[in-house]
Amino acid sequence: MGEAIVITSGKGGVGKTTAVANLGVGLALLANKVVLVDADIGLRNLDVVMGLENRIVYDLVDVVEGRCRSKQALIRDKRYDLLYLLPAAQTRDKSAVSPEQMKKLCEELKAEFDFVLVDCPAGIEQGFRNAIAGADRALIVTTPEVSAVRDADRIIGLLEAAGLSGARLIINRIRPDMVRRGDMMDIDDILEILAIDLIGIIPDDERIIVSTNRGEPVVAADNALSGQAFRNIVRRLLGEEVPFQDIYRQSSWFGRLKKIIGLGG
Amino acid sequence: MKKMAVEFKGTKGGLTIYCLEGVGFSELLADLEQRLRQRAAFFGEAEVRVNVGGRELTEEQKERLVTVIRENSRLKPAGIVMQPDGSAALPPARRRGDFESLQLEGLKEGRSLVIKRTLRSGQGIHFPGHVVVLGDVNPGAEIIAEGDIFVFGTIRGIAHAGARGDRKASVVALRLSPTQLRIADVISRAPDENPPLPDQAEYAYIADDRILIAAITTKAAAASVRKEGV
Repeated sequence: MGEAIVITSGKGGVGKTTAVANLGVGLALLANKVVLVDADIGLRNLDVVMGLENRIVYDLVDVVEGRCRSKQALIRDKRYDLLYLLPAAQTRDKSAVSPEQMKKLCEELKAEFDFVLVDCPAGIEQGFRNAIAGADRALIVTTPEVSAVRDADRIIGLLEAAGLSGARLIINRIRPDMVRRGDMMDIDDILEILAIDLIGIIPDDERIIVSTNRGEPVVAADNALSGQAFRNIVRRLLGEEVPFQDIYRQSSWFGRLKKIIGLGG
Repeated sequence: MKKMAVEFKGTKGGLTIYCLEGVGFSELLADLEQRLRQRAAFFGEAEVRVNVGGRELTEEQKERLVTVIRENSRLKPAGIVMQPDGSAALPPARRRGDFESLQLEGLKEGRSLVIKRTLRSGQGIHFPGHVVVLGDVNPGAEIIAEGDIFVFGTIRGIAHAGARGDRKASVVALRLSPTQLRIADVISRAPDENPPLPDQAEYAYIADDRILIAAITTKAAAASVRKEGV
C-alpha cells in the first residue's frame, strides 16, 4: 500500500507543478513506483512540464466518471519506467469531480503505486478540497514573499481543519544574495510564521525554467543546485535524514574565493 | 461583607498575622479562627508571628491566641509582637482601604475561551468574553473578544478587545506586533514601516482615547491595575 502526498500552496505560480514533476522523477529514480495526479482540472499543465502532453487519451474525469479504467488513463513516462501520469481534463472544470471520488481514486492508485503525488490547483475552493481529499500527507510550497507565505499559512490552517496535520514546507526560489542584503525574507522569518517542519529549500535557478520548458525535470541533472535540492527532498520523503544545503555559501562565489585565499568564511 | 479583624502577610522571614486596630479581642479571635480554618491547607506548617499592634495583651490572652492558631492550623506560633504606636501594625502596602475591596480590585470574572493552537490566516474567533490563545495569531487571522485578549505567543494579525464597547479591556501578548489593534471603538494600526519585534511581553489599553502600549513588568502591570481598575 502506497502513500498519497498532496503538493499545495494556496498561491499560484510558486512552483507546485515543478515540484510534483521533480519529486516524481526523483522518487522513480530511487526505484519507487510513482503516479503523478494532476488535480488542476481545466488548467492542466503537469503533462506539459513532463513532456507527455501528446500522449493523453483519457484523463482524470474520464476515470471518475467511468468512461475508462484508471489503467487506461495512466501515461507511462517516456524516460522513467516506474513513473506514470494521470492527466487532468482540460475541457471541464473543478466541479466535475467530488472529494469522495478523489478519495476513492487515490485509494485505488495507492494499491498499485508506492507514491501518489497530487498536484493541487491554486486557491482554496473545490479544486483544493478535491486535491487534499485522498492525501495522507501534504507538502506546502512557498516562495520567500509575504503574499505566498500568507497563503501558505491559510492553507496550513485549512489542512489542519481537514485533519491533515504534519504538513512539511518547501521554500522555493530562495536567492541567497538577496537574503544576505536583507531584500528577501529569510528562511527563519518564514519558519517563524508558519511554524511547520521544513523539508527542503530550493534555490532560484534558471535551469529550472529551461528544464521545465523542455519537459525534462531538473532533478535528473546532476550538476544543478536546484536538482540537488530536489534530490534531497526525495530522500527526506523516504525517511532519510539529510542535512540542509548551505545555499548561502555554495552560491556565493565571492565567499568561496575569500575562503580559498584564507580570509575566513 | 463583615469587616475583617486580622490580616495575613507572608514575608521572607515567615508569615505574620496583623491584628487590625479598633477590633475587640473576642472578635479578633473569632475572625482569626475562621480565616485559619479557611486557609489552613494553604499556609501549611510555616512559622507565624502575631503582630497585635498597640494592644496590651495579658498572658492569658496571648495563650488563647496561640491556642486558636494551634487548634485551627498546622502553623507554628513563633512569637507575639507588640507595637505600642500602632501605626506599623498594618502591612505597608495595604494601609489604604479595606482588605476585601483591595482583593477584589484587579479581578475580572467572565466567560473565557482558551485556544490551544496558533490561529492562522483566514481563521477568526468572535467570542462574547475573554480569549486566551496558547500559540500565535498570524497575519490574516483575527480575534474579536468582548472582554480581554491574552496571547501567549506573537500577535501579528488583528485583535479587537472589548468589542462591545468595554474601554477598560486590554490586549496582552508575549510579542505584540499586530496588523491592527482595536479596543472598544478605538483603532490603531501598525506603523507602515516594519518595526522590530518587541523583545518582551506588552499590553495595550486605552488612555485618553488612544491605544497605548506598555511593557509588562510586574510593577507596571500592578500599577495599571490600580490606576485603570482593569
